[in-house]
This record gives sequence, structure tokens and C-alpha cells, in this order.
Amino acid sequence: MFNWPTIAQILWTSLATSSYYVLFAIAFALVLKVNGVFNFAQAGMMTIAFYAAHASVAYAGLPGSWAALIALVTTIVGAWALERFGFATLRRNNASPMFVFIFTIVASEFIAYLAMLIFGTWPKTIFPQLFWPVTLVGEIAVSAWDVPALVTAISLAASLWAFLRYTKWGQFMVAVSDNANLAELYGINRRSVYMLTMVIAAVFITAGMFLYGTRAQVQPLTSLEMMLFAALATILGGIGRIWGAALAAVLLGIVQNSSILFIPSEWQGFLLYVFLFVAIIFFPQGIRLPDRAKKITRGTTTATPTAPSATAAG
Amino acid sequence: MEYLYSIAILVGLFVILASSFNLIIGYGGLISIAHPIFYGLGAYTSALLARDAGLPVPLCMLLGTLLAMILSIAMALPALRVSGDYLLIASIGFQLGMIELIKNFRFTGGAGGVSGIPAFLVPTFGREVYVALVLGVAVGVVLLVRWIAHSDYGRAISAMRDDEQAFAALGRDAKWIKVSLFALGSGIAGFAGALYAHYFRFVTSEQFEILMSSTILTMVVVGGLRTPWGPVVGAILLQILPQAITFLNLPPALLGPIQGLLFTGLVLVFMFLRPGGLVQAGNTWTAHGHVRKET
Repeated sequence: MFNWPTIAQILWTSLATSSYYVLFAIAFALVLKVNGVFNFAQAGMMTIAFYAAHASVAYAGLPGSWAALIALVTTIVGAWALERFGFATLRRNNASPMFVFIFTIVASEFIAYLAMLIFGTWPKTIFPQLFWPVTLVGEIAVSAWDVPALVTAISLAASLWAFLRYTKWGQFMVAVSDNANLAELYGINRRSVYMLTMVIAAVFITAGMFLYGTRAQVQPLTSLEMMLFAALATILGGIGRIWGAALAAVLLGIVQNSSILFIPSEWQGFLLYVFLFVAIIFFPQGIRLPDRAKKITRGTTTATPTAPSATAAG
Repeated sequence: MEYLYSIAILVGLFVILASSFNLIIGYGGLISIAHPIFYGLGAYTSALLARDAGLPVPLCMLLGTLLAMILSIAMALPALRVSGDYLLIASIGFQLGMIELIKNFRFTGGAGGVSGIPAFLVPTFGREVYVALVLGVAVGVVLLVRWIAHSDYGRAISAMRDDEQAFAALGRDAKWIKVSLFALGSGIAGFAGALYAHYFRFVTSEQFEILMSSTILTMVVVGGLRTPWGPVVGAILLQILPQAITFLNLPPALLGPIQGLLFTGLVLVFMFLRPGGLVQAGNTWTAHGHVRKET
């Protein structure tokens, strides 16, 4: 059971499946870092992305590339509407975190019920078949889905990194995440930055959902559970650390997949939630390397964490 | 008629749940949404003890309540290391973790749930008596919340919520207040769960998921946080309005989503048009009922 091919296969499969988890985690972490909200409405955006792609292929008979494009446009419109009519209004009214939470979760539910009404509750996929040809590389089975999925995730992550580092608007996003009021004093329109962040999150969500929907079946409420995984990765990676969240998503994927070697598969969900509970209570600022932790400890108080810190280290 | 009795019982149970939740989240300011799992624990414990151990139903209900209280303390003691959004997410982890446990244990019936739960009162005295019992408990819980809000304990809760550091500086134990609030609110939810189980006689873990959390939370917020009557208004309104759709004789495949859309749509409308809730919170400490709106 613990032979090398088995372990290598689990590691490879975990790495491949973590591609969409990474995309979801980056989207969640980015909105939390820049806009300062736990965006549980991400589940709603995921639902929009999937069903737009599904409808494009199943009802309009469009090829996958067009389906992806339509899903992207639809999700961006959804993200725009969420920011414009939801978050912007809540921000203007200085809504409490609880109020924002209710809005995000109810918005996700609303979209899920809408999907149920239109598409029914039966599981759906983007393409009629979920089968992907498999090639043996050594003793590891590599499906035709694996490599494009990894390439998509890596390319998007690298593009975001470059965007944040080298473009004007990327720098604006970093500035707003560090100190929104100060950024505004320097002439940065924070509302535009918040909107841009939601749009970028929509790109990641669409890509992630397209990958997921070409590999697994989706129901209207599937996204809520998947979003919790993104939330867990964000917390473990450290609030405000986008790449920490991405790394945590990969590690969580590996832990979850490799847990089948030790515990029955039906307990994987339990394991995930135990992680979530333990992580948030004992590592509310994420898991940090020892040296980094020392530096931070000197400069911070030991007060009980109460809210997402938009100024956390990026 | 049976349908109307079921609606009345559900309204009563949601009044109990929303009011007890209001104690934790409204008066205590503790943002935990794990309330439905304590409702579920009360339901499962009472159902299994009555069905499999053959214990008298009232005793099972009390034991269900007790277990909900104990487990809420077990959750609160570590979880209260954090607050705000962090506590909220910790409570989600606890809730979903417990649901996974229930789904995976064989003695809880797994994902299929528990059926054949012994009925209580209904076979002997009829459904009307059970309706009266549930509504009586609901009224009792609302009055209890109102009494707590105006008592010394309520004053301490309010002080703790508004300024925990000042509260602690006065030598008061904020942690005890928080844990006791969790235990009291969750115990009441557990009792509501037991009442549910012995009337509907079937429980499944799916009933206590995140969607249930948002339903109860919504009832409290739409009705009005930190008011004894707000959650009552929220529970009645949001439980009855979606039921109106059932009279349209729509196919079941459409009925559920339309009810869900109506429910969530109403919530979104209320959130933006009347964010303070239908019953606005006044300052309970202002003399002679002079209401000062809380910000």
C-alpha cells in the first residue's frame, strides 16, 4: 500500500486536482486582502461560472473555448453586480462583519436557488463525458486533463503576480490593501480598485470552475462546500497572504487525497472541517515560518484577533 | 389541518431558535452560526435515546438539551480564543465537522437519518396539544430572553459586548458570561430540536447545515437584533411568506427553488431597505421606555 508508485500517483493526482483549489483560494484571498471581506458570495460566482459554461455547451452546442469565454463574461457581470449593488452599499453604510456575512451567504443561496429553478437539482457537467484519456508516465497515470489544469493554474497565478508587481493598477491594489485611506489621499480611486479585484477574482473563479466542471459533477449547492476549502486555505496560508493561501491549497489537497491511505474516504470531509476549526483557533494569523514569526511577534500585540487585517503582510 | 399544525409547530420552533440565537449573536455579540448543530444534537440525542434505549420521551428531551449545552461549552471554550469573523469561521468548522460525524456514525443512521422516532403527546392527546406545547415553549423562551435582557445578567452581557476590556477591568469575568450565553442559547436550541424530533419523527443531518444557519440568522437580522420581539417577527414572517407559494400547486421540482428564491430575495430586500430590522433595537437601559436607536 505504501509503495512508491502509489505514493507518487497520489501526489500527482493531488497536485493536479489542487489546480482548481489554488484558483479558488487565490480568488478568496485576493478579495479578503484588498477589499477586506470574507467573500462567501464567491460560491454564487462559482455557481454562475459553472452553469454558464454548462448551458453554453449543453443547450447552445458551443465548443469548450466559447463556453469558457461566455462563462467568464457572465461571472464578471455577476462580480460587478455584487460589488456595485452589494459590497459598495454595505461599505457605504458601514455594515458590520455579521451583516456582510449574511449578505454574502444569502447572495450565494439566491444564485443557487436560481440555478436549481433553471437547471434542476441533478448533478451536471460541462461536457457530456468526464472521461479523459490517460497516459502512463513511468508508473504514474497522467490524464489529459492534468497538465492543462496545472498549466492554467500556474499561468494565472504567475500573471497575477506580475500584474501586482509591475502594473500601475496592480500597485494600486497593493496600496489599497495596505492602507485604503492613505491610498485615497494619493489619488487612488479605491472603489475602482475594489471593482477590479472582484473582476480578477471572477477570472480565477471561472477558470477554477471550468476545470472542476470538466472533471466532476456539480449541483447548485456544490460551490458552498468548495468555497469553504478556499476559506480554509486562506486562513492557513495567513490572512492577507495570497501566495500563502495558494500554497496552503496545494498542501491541503495533498493531505486530503493522501488521507485515503490512512482513513476511509468518507472521513475526508470531517478531516477538512477539523482542520478548519483547529486552524482558525490556534493559527488565526496563518502558519508562519519560525524566523518570520519572531519578527512579527516583536512588532505586534497579543490581542485577540477580531477582524480580517487588510494590512497583514502580503 | 395537519398541514396548518405543522406550520404552527415550525413557526414556534423557529421562534425558539431565533430568540435563543439572538441571545448569543445579538445580546452577546458573539458571531457564531453553529446554532443549528445544537438544534440537531438535541433532536438526535432525544430521538436515539427514546427509540433505541426506550427511555421516557421527556427525559430524552432533557438529556438532548443537556448534551447540546455540554457540547456548546466544549466548542465555546477553545473557540472564544478568537472573535468576529474568526469565531464565525470556527463555528462553521465545528458545525460542519459535527455534521460529518453524524453522517459517518452508524448508530446515528448515517446520511439516511433517524426514522421511527417515538411520538410524544400526539397519540394520546392529539396534535393540538403538541402545537400548544411548542407555542407555549416559544412564548416562554421569548419572555425568558426579555427577562434576561432587563436583568443584572443582561446588563453584564451588554457591558461585556460594548467594551470587553472595561468590563474585565471592573473585575468581571467576560469568558464566563460568553460561555454561559453559549450554553443557555444552545441548550434552548437543543430542546427545540427534541420537540422537532418527536413531532416530525424523522431527522437527518442535512437539516442542520449552513443553509439552516443562514435561515435562523436571517430571521434574527430581518426581525431585529437585540430585541426580544424582532426574532419573533422575523421567524413568523420568513416562515409563513414562502409557504404562501405552496397554494399555487406547483410541481415539487419548482416549489423548493421558488420558496428558496422568495426567502433569500426577501432577505436581500430587507437588508438593503431596512438594515436595522423590522423591530428596531432601543436602549433597554433608558428609563421609562424612551427608545434611543443603537448605532
